[in-house]
Amino acid sequence: MAAHAAPLDAAESRRLGRWLRRRAGGARQELAGAVGGAALAGLLLGPQAWLLARVVDGVLTHHRPLGAETPLLWALLAVFAARAALGAMAEGLAQDAALTVRAGLRAELLRKLTRLHPREIAARPSGGVATLLTEGIAKLDPFYAAYLPQAAMAAFLPFALLAMVFPADWVAGVIMLLSAPLLPLFMIVVGKGAEALNKRSWHQLSLLGAHLFDVIAGLTTLKRLNASAMQARVVAEVSEDYRRSVMAVLRVAFLSALVLEFFATLSVAMVAVYVGFRLYYGGIAFLPGFFVLLLAPEFYRPLRAMGAQHHARMEALAVAEEITALLDTPEPESPTAAVALNGSVREIRLEDVSFAYQPARPVLDHLSITLRRGERVALLGATGSGKSTMVRLLLGLETPNAGRILVDGVNLRDAAQAAWFSRVAWLPQAPTLCAGSVAEILRLSRPTASDEELYAALRRAGAEEVLAKLPHGLSTRLGEHGAGLSGGQIRRLALARALLKPAELYVFDEPEASLDGALIRHINALSTELAREHAVLVVAHRPEAVAGFDRVLQLSEGRLC
Amino acid sequence: MLTRLLVLLLPEWRRALAGVALSAGVTLSNVALLALSGWFIAAMALSGHGGPRIEYFAPAAAIRGLAILRTLGRYGERVQTHDTTLRLLARLRVWLYQRLEPLAPAGLQRYRGGDLLNRLRADVDSLEGFYLRVVLPVGVAVAVIPLLALVAGRIAPAAGGILCLGLILAGFGVPACLIWLNRHFGNALPERRGAYAADLTDLTRGYAEWLVDGALERLAARAEANALAAQVLERRLAWWNAAGNAAAMLVLGTMLVAVLFALAAPVAQRALAGPGLALATLLVLGSFEAVAGLPASFKARTEVSAAAARIFELADAEPPVPEPARPAALPCDTSLVARGLTLGYAPGQPPAVAGLSFTVPHGTCLAITGPSGAGKTSILNALEGFWPLRAGEVAVGGVPLAALSFASRRRLFTVVAQSPYLFNTTIRENLLLANPAADEAALWRALEAAALADEVRAMPAGLEQLVGEQGAALSGGQRRRLALAGAFLQSGPILLLDEPTEGLDHATEQRVLAALERLRRGRTCILITHRPAALRLADDVLELRSPL
Repeated sequence: MAAHAAPLDAAESRRLGRWLRRRAGGARQELAGAVGGAALAGLLLGPQAWLLARVVDGVLTHHRPLGAETPLLWALLAVFAARAALGAMAEGLAQDAALTVRAGLRAELLRKLTRLHPREIAARPSGGVATLLTEGIAKLDPFYAAYLPQAAMAAFLPFALLAMVFPADWVAGVIMLLSAPLLPLFMIVVGKGAEALNKRSWHQLSLLGAHLFDVIAGLTTLKRLNASAMQARVVAEVSEDYRRSVMAVLRVAFLSALVLEFFATLSVAMVAVYVGFRLYYGGIAFLPGFFVLLLAPEFYRPLRAMGAQHHARMEALAVAEEITALLDTPEPESPTAAVALNGSVREIRLEDVSFAYQPARPVLDHLSITLRRGERVALLGATGSGKSTMVRLLLGLETPNAGRILVDGVNLRDAAQAAWFSRVAWLPQAPTLCAGSVAEILRLSRPTASDEELYAALRRAGAEEVLAKLPHGLSTRLGEHGAGLSGGQIRRLALARALLKPAELYVFDEPEASLDGALIRHINALSTELAREHAVLVVAHRPEAVAGFDRVLQLSEGRLC
Repeated sequence: MLTRLLVLLLPEWRRALAGVALSAGVTLSNVALLALSGWFIAAMALSGHGGPRIEYFAPAAAIRGLAILRTLGRYGERVQTHDTTLRLLARLRVWLYQRLEPLAPAGLQRYRGGDLLNRLRADVDSLEGFYLRVVLPVGVAVAVIPLLALVAGRIAPAAGGILCLGLILAGFGVPACLIWLNRHFGNALPERRGAYAADLTDLTRGYAEWLVDGALERLAARAEANALAAQVLERRLAWWNAAGNAAAMLVLGTMLVAVLFALAAPVAQRALAGPGLALATLLVLGSFEAVAGLPASFKARTEVSAAAARIFELADAEPPVPEPARPAALPCDTSLVARGLTLGYAPGQPPAVAGLSFTVPHGTCLAITGPSGAGKTSILNALEGFWPLRAGEVAVGGVPLAALSFASRRRLFTVVAQSPYLFNTTIRENLLLANPAADEAALWRALEAAALADEVRAMPAGLEQLVGEQGAALSGGQRRRLALAGAFLQSGPILLLDEPTEGLDHATEQRVLAALERLRRGRTCILITHRPAALRLADDVLELRSPL
């Protein structure tokens, strides 16, 4: 009830259904074991019903004392024990199957995650991919562990039971046979109605459902506006709207359950009444009559169980849509025969480079820039002038739509991406720290760095003060996203991480955006030192911050001016 | 945990009880349908074989009646219980909001990121299942088991006892054992799952950086290792659960056989005839349904308790700043004096600001500059009453801020925050939050003043334009200026500006500064900035040094 996935159209849900079933191939043995165990346990319902009927028949028809049936009762107990054992095996194997499928998908998704274009990650809502790979794929479990085995049971067990009912009383068998197809038929008819209603209202439902969290996320702002106390009433009103809308959908959705229940229950009643009258008029003996009555509810049970798993299927389809969308995301192409990048870089040249995220809106317009080793270059420009995009092209995160980027004459497009990445160091506008110790975080850019090298990098980044504050030095674990550190301190650690890398090109992106003069001065001094051996580009907002640079490039609407 | 949730359920107890009653009724009518059918065909068989003739119309009609009753009852039950669940959810949401409201922002620090808000959302979703998945199956079992045992006891007292014992053992005993097992052997699971989720968040958050640093594969391998460790535990738990269900099945089967053994004596004494035996057999078989929902209920209980524990822990926190019992009146003079101001977030850590004193005369503007980490934003948080002072005092017009009620304190300030939050609704609604009484003309004047009016006019829906989740449909500069427009709609006589032009390009900065000059007219103002251009708003400058 909580998740309101957008309803899928019929063709799409068939495609995703097929995809989900294909994925089950990896766990074929487990699933076969699960279905086999459940089928055997289901077949044992026959002996169970027959033993019970025999016991009652002995008393009723033959006036035997119950004590005389002890062997039958022990046999009954053995049947229950066998059903329990088979059931446990089926359930455990079904769960194993779900875990196997999930593990395979997870590995595939993680692999995919390391190969995507960064733009694909940025385009998705924050936390969306992480949620998909945790709670998302866990929602597939009920599909493989319950829905698929139940669907197999629904296709098999009713027929197996019918095969036992027909020899006992063919008329009761006919009643069951005729009633069975009505169940799925009515479910489909009513299900369509609910789906149509759901399609109309899901967007509204998801907005209403998310309202509380929007309000909580903005509580500080509400308090500042002195509007926070009043909002409690709004929360109540929206929750009430939400209840009414959800109930409108559910009243229809439950009709399908009603139909299912109606036919299943009424058929049992009909079999009972019909068998009763046949017995009354001497049409059949008591033993087969009672046997049929005991089996009648079991005949409908698999169908009802599958109906109960309908929700699991819908959820799995919604998750499958997200997963296939991620897996089908095209990966950036790498050159078939990569040209090697050797030795230290002397010159990086952007030749007549144009770039646009959307064709109608060019971001870079026939731009030509040359960066040389031993030179300290600043890039200035207003927001939206294309600075960040130029940096992304230079780093190799994007490729030009037109023009080319030459590294000592080698077109970057022809070089292996990883080879170029290993030669650039980058301090982004808002750097990221991952969870882990300071040493782990720093070593991300160079796993082989020694402790001494880490200390040296921290000193060069001016981060010794940060380190002095940490109780366990390099092995101090930082909380989520550097919790406990200020923005400036996070930046200094990220700077140290960038400096650890043995790079040829250093790019410092807008270091003054949220920083103090001290760090800007530090980076400017650092860039002078780095520029002796390397190419250095500093992206800035204002001219006064980059006084004394060898060259200052001014970018405006994707062109130099 | 669950007791506290039950207390939240109390106001809806009538509906909750009605749901349990309906659900129990449905279960009972099904058992009755089966038992009566058994009795009916046995009696009919006896009649057909020359036994006593029976009047068959009434039982035959009763069987059909029970079938229809069960069907309609099931529908009514589902509607009733889901409605109750949603009503409870509405109460829970209001309750949670009211508990969290006094805590923001200090007490919600750890729920700040979007990912942690997702956690809260998932927890509230889990609590939705409390009535439907936890309370209802237990309520039904508790209501139905004694009734069934009573009926079985009428046939043979021993049968009643066995039925009662068997159902309790299968429905409550086995799941309780499973919970115990899970608690003792599965408690590493949440930690592993948490580590895996954190790895994934790290991986996606810094994607471009890891790509350039060549660290993507290492981070993915770390995530995979944590996921595998979690999976080993999950597999073990799944097999325990399967074994538990098998045990419950075996208990129920044993119960049936035991009841039949117990009925041997009454049958031998001719106290119980064939139809009675058929009825008893089907009664016991049908009674399995009474406990069928319990294993899932116990499983849900664990999940709901964990979610409730996290939510209660959050909601139970003491508000960091107490509200005075007898608040002072709002001063007219808005000169601001801070004496010996000492601020710090965590108790063990050195203060962010130590012993700071400053004075802002009525109607003037003080700029506070300094390196990051010097505690500039902390000063604003303390003024607004979001964080407690460790020492010192701030007074406005001679009245200590701590003596004011929260509402008057907020009426005192107009704040332009560093990262203003926009709600997922229209531009109009976002502006009206600042001043619900503002009319159309006032909204446009405010947009005009914030240099945003032209852009809003150019939007297809104008003021009705939806801003998207956290203002995602607007650019960074537009979000900033929309918040500024909100400030123009407020009348708080003291203006607090936190980095109002940060991240803006030169031209936009000039427009925003011009707007701020108009905004600060006639108000006392504290401006936090590191941008020299913004200093032209200030009459006086206070430079903070880093405490490091």
